[in-house]
Amino acid sequence: MKKAIIAILAFCAFSLVSAAPSAESILSAIDKNMTSQTTKSTTRMVIHAKRSSRTVESVNYSQGSDRFFTEYLAPPRDKGTKMLKAGDNLWIYDPGTDRTIQISGNMLKQSVMGSDLSYEDFMEEDKLSQDYSAGVDGEITYDGRACWILTLMAKKPGLAYAKRKIYVDKSRYVVLYELLYAKSGKLLKSLKFSNVTKTGNRWYPRYILFKDELKDGKGTEYFVDSIQFDIPIPAATFTKARLKK
Amino acid sequence: MILKLALRNIIGNGWRSLINVAVIAIVLIGLIWGEGMWYSWLTLAKNQQREWEYGGGILRAKSYDPFDAFTWENGYAPVPAEAQSYVRGGRIVPILYSPGMIYPQGRMMNALVKGIPENQKVLSFPSTALNAADSSYVPAIIGREMAKTSRLQEGEVFTLRLKDSTGAFNSLDLQVSKVMDCPVPSLDIGTVWIDLAALRKVKLLPDAATVLVLKDASLTAIKAPLFRYIDPREFFADLNQMVKTKVSGQSLPFGMLILLAMLAVFDTQALAIFKRRKEIGMLSALGMTKGQIIRLFTSEGALYMVAASVCAVVLGFPLYWYFAVKGFALPQGYQSFGVAGFNEPLKFHYPLLVILGTLIFLFLLTVFVSWLPARKIARLRPTEALRGK
Repeated sequence: MKKAIIAILAFCAFSLVSAAPSAESILSAIDKNMTSQTTKSTTRMVIHAKRSSRTVESVNYSQGSDRFFTEYLAPPRDKGTKMLKAGDNLWIYDPGTDRTIQISGNMLKQSVMGSDLSYEDFMEEDKLSQDYSAGVDGEITYDGRACWILTLMAKKPGLAYAKRKIYVDKSRYVVLYELLYAKSGKLLKSLKFSNVTKTGNRWYPRYILFKDELKDGKGTEYFVDSIQFDIPIPAATFTKARLKK
Repeated sequence: MILKLALRNIIGNGWRSLINVAVIAIVLIGLIWGEGMWYSWLTLAKNQQREWEYGGGILRAKSYDPFDAFTWENGYAPVPAEAQSYVRGGRIVPILYSPGMIYPQGRMMNALVKGIPENQKVLSFPSTALNAADSSYVPAIIGREMAKTSRLQEGEVFTLRLKDSTGAFNSLDLQVSKVMDCPVPSLDIGTVWIDLAALRKVKLLPDAATVLVLKDASLTAIKAPLFRYIDPREFFADLNQMVKTKVSGQSLPFGMLILLAMLAVFDTQALAIFKRRKEIGMLSALGMTKGQIIRLFTSEGALYMVAASVCAVVLGFPLYWYFAVKGFALPQGYQSFGVAGFNEPLKFHYPLLVILGTLIFLFLLTVFVSWLPARKIARLRPTEALRGK
């Protein structure tokens, strides 16, 4: 009798584990959800400083994972500032001086508009399934949603973060919480995703809280007010000439 | 005879001569003091940079340009094979640079991290404080200025984040083992020093260096195709240029003082020729040629300069001695200017050749200024001069 119960329990446990998709298929589903040929979005970034907060509004265009164009709309001080990422290059156009500056090397470590995001974070080309090998560590209920916990390890050298830990919504295949680690194992950044809404045939988080875990502060809030996927965007949008227009 | 007469005349001039000599002497004291200050500062700054940074010479990785931040991330090269034995023998000190981000007390700051062997003996740098034997953290040295801007103190722990050579983020927990009094601000401002081995490990660069500091200039002969020798002329070019600019800036007030002194001499001479017409006529009647009379008046002017030079040396001596022995302490804020030589009282040295050159130049200028009004004598008729016309 005892043996029969153990056998039944073992069978049930095996069934439960085998019911969970593989880590690779979870990553592929996330990539499918989060990436697209093109996107156009309007966003607000709320940067919390020690004494005050400020909101930076922008319109953003992207093509694949290596072309990105942003134009800042507000506040008036930053209005007209543009940022272009094309491949490994990043340029900033400052309307005040009418000059385009290439951001590279040490300057990539600087924070973007005083936020918890660095230019390096913009330079990342994320396709988790391609760059990371993963394993399912367990399950958790996070923010009222059933999630898998995955640990991702870089497959190749050169990726900014050697290790990531993510909580993935089981039914929507959206990352709800992400921890980014240095090679030494030190936690560097955390990202909290919420307000996940259906846009077309995909689920997409409309709110992200970025936090540099080595730095004090409340982090930087990122609101996606509108987003469109796979719409035609002129190729000229991702050229340096567009910066001064 | 002319000199003797000229000397008698300027002594006879009394207060007028004394004022002339005093004015020129004050200008000379100022000039000697100024020259002593710039020379001493330049010498001190160069010595400090040699002791702390340059050693007997520097080989710098060709991929690193100190004036181009774009090169800093990848500004290194493997230590050449020929240099390895000298590195082991302690005659070459490899130093690796890496840009990074530090987080003191939860704040974020850019920093340039430099890795230096803790057992090096070529530079005066206190690298022994980087010995990690007693610490679970990686020891770090920062300068007094860096401690001020980062608000870090000895014993405090902070995190360093940097990218390794593949581009992945890595981090180290550092502990300030020493806040050093560094006379060379470029080694202090915005810089964190750790042991070379620790930096190489975290950067995944087991044998790389940004600069190789040589114990003596003979080591410049080693084959290092990925490095470039920085000769003293290039290394100190900025410092020399700055002193040149500063000296040029100061030449205006000194030029004004010299002009005033020369005006005093010119005025005295012009007045003397006007007032001493009868004397000129008399000298002429006694057989002196016009040339001899012009030489007499010019000698009187030149003697002012000689007397002033003697006064400048004798009367200025206590001042020169005071600054040579006690030194000239600059206010503390000067250290943040980013230039060596400001951290300790500047003890003056007086460059003899430069000072002699200045004295000779001023002597010739005084002779010229004295000669200008004396030319009029050539146009005087002895008979009219005798009548005072």
